[in-house]
Amino acid sequence: MKYWTFRMFHDRISFQISVKWLLITLSMSLLLLLLFLLGLSAGSKWIPLTEVAQQLMGYIDTHSFTVETLRLPRILLAILVGASLGVAGLILQTIVRNPLASPDIIGITSGASLGAVSFITFGTGIISMQFLPFAAIAGGLVTSLLIYIISWNKGVTPIRLVLIGIGLSAILKSGITFMLVFSDAVVTTKAYIWLTGSLYAANWSDVSAMSLWILTPLPILLIWGRSMNVTALGDEVAINAGIRVQLQRFVFLMCSVVLAGTAAAYAGGIEFVGLMAPHIAKRLATKSFIGLIPITALIGASLVLIADIIARTMFLPLDIPAGVFTAAIGAPFFIYVLFYNRNR
Amino acid sequence: MKKRMSLVLFVMLALAMVLAACGNAGKEATEPESSGVQAEVPNKREVAHALGTTPIEGKPQRIVTLFQGATDTLVQFKVTPVGVVESWSQQPMYDYLKDNLKDVAYVGLETQPNLEEISALKPDLIIATQVRHEEIYEQLSQIAPTVVTSILYDFRETANIIGQAIGDEDTATALIADWEARVADFKSKVSAVEGWPLSASVVNFRDDHARIYFTGFAGSILNELGFKGPKDLVGDDHEIIRLMDKESIPNMNADVTFEFFEDTDIIKKTHDEWTSHPLYKNLDSAKNNQVYIVDDVTWNFAGGLKSAHLMLDSLYTHFGFEQ
Repeated sequence: MKYWTFRMFHDRISFQISVKWLLITLSMSLLLLLLFLLGLSAGSKWIPLTEVAQQLMGYIDTHSFTVETLRLPRILLAILVGASLGVAGLILQTIVRNPLASPDIIGITSGASLGAVSFITFGTGIISMQFLPFAAIAGGLVTSLLIYIISWNKGVTPIRLVLIGIGLSAILKSGITFMLVFSDAVVTTKAYIWLTGSLYAANWSDVSAMSLWILTPLPILLIWGRSMNVTALGDEVAINAGIRVQLQRFVFLMCSVVLAGTAAAYAGGIEFVGLMAPHIAKRLATKSFIGLIPITALIGASLVLIADIIARTMFLPLDIPAGVFTAAIGAPFFIYVLFYNRNR
Repeated sequence: MKKRMSLVLFVMLALAMVLAACGNAGKEATEPESSGVQAEVPNKREVAHALGTTPIEGKPQRIVTLFQGATDTLVQFKVTPVGVVESWSQQPMYDYLKDNLKDVAYVGLETQPNLEEISALKPDLIIATQVRHEEIYEQLSQIAPTVVTSILYDFRETANIIGQAIGDEDTATALIADWEARVADFKSKVSAVEGWPLSASVVNFRDDHARIYFTGFAGSILNELGFKGPKDLVGDDHEIIRLMDKESIPNMNADVTFEFFEDTDIIKKTHDEWTSHPLYKNLDSAKNNQVYIVDDVTWNFAGGLKSAHLMLDSLYTHFGFEQ
């Protein structure tokens, strides 16, 4: 038997899983689990896994600050951020049917960045930094609505969405540069670190707030996700199959914005994960949209987690922004994808 | 359709509630750790600072400083910190402070100090600054009592906060009085200079642009000494003005120009390009041979009380005054 088919809630949710899919999901989960454990052990002082386990179960209390207050929330946040960036990228690539689409290319991340950089520039020392995520999410939302409205011409076509997104993104980036040039030195430094993307200073309230945000789009993805497979074949096919293409496109775009916007809000402008994770997932497993969601999430999470573990352990005692490493791997990967797709 | 939407909403709400509960549980589990043994120690005090009020007891022995100005200023109290952040140049520590900080531990960068390293030092006082460390204040406070200054380069505020935090306000007062006496001495001598009050500009060269430092560390000290700002920038209150194009050179115009820049080939090339430009040669300071190259550490990077004194020393030298 090659496939198992699942149907529930009177066929409202249905999906198929294959043996290959199951194997890949399991091995990716295992990889993430290993990284999770490595992340708990590694740091400025190596804590053996046995002690980490004892600490987490409450048998000893020697590492409670290091493990439970510093490392655990940071690892969880890395996982959440990576997973949301990956899925946000997957959604966009499916909506616009272009393998080069990702939240940082079509302007969602730039919008969130402009929100955050404005907040840092005008709010540092005046408004508490805990409100920074709201500025970032608002920036992302406003930008994507703007992209959507400008692209509207009796409906929105994927190609218009991408082109207008890229254009708007360029305008927003010049706005960011403008603000960096005109702000004070310390503020600029802070903004640069934010733009690079860092999981530094992660705490439990970040983790719980972020989980709330990223779980919101999940039911929508599960219920409507199956129709994405049809839309991937082209708008005409989808319309003939009875799919409300424009509504679907809008809802999924918003899901992507919520995911990418929150990731930016809590970890800054971590780049390229939204591009890389869906590609690796597609190479590994299936073409089915719902099937790709968990694998993309696992891969995105692993990528950001690896980057952060390297960032906080490789140059001890220095703790550097994780975004440096995702960009270092991501830029060559981007060129590879372009190169690979040139004849297709 | 309506039914389906309400189902979606219901699932979302349920998930949200479960997660909120999980989040709180995790938080509670981590809280009880900062409780130490509470013995009666004399000299219990509350230090008010930029991010709240911190109770401190006795005289802290293991202090960690998280910004350059705090490291510099704490050393002036004849106290050696156990941990400091890496300097911006001459890493890991500025030459003028190296002798005072031989056995000190480094806890990473001022912008992202390594929390694990800080907690491993088991400090009893942490000195931080708002613009850099606001996000980690809660975590720092779990490691040790933390005091936070509001302006990074304000060495007076830094000295006052340190004085209160280590229970040595007398030294803080004496150090500031010392500084003010020197300022008064310099002012009395400089007022005899022809054309006083002179305007001064502080110029910095980077890889691809130049900057005028206006109200920051050096600017605020020059202002205190009675200097006026650059002639064409009266009324401007930017800390730094970035000049992206040589056309803006006239903004540097002043009677005296102080220049600092890092010692790399690219930056030297930028410096030569800008200073050989006709507009630069037209500046009052350049025409009257009043351009001085000064130390980037004491004039900009360090931002502490000692570096302020060193900066003042160099001004005495440039003007040829006896101390």
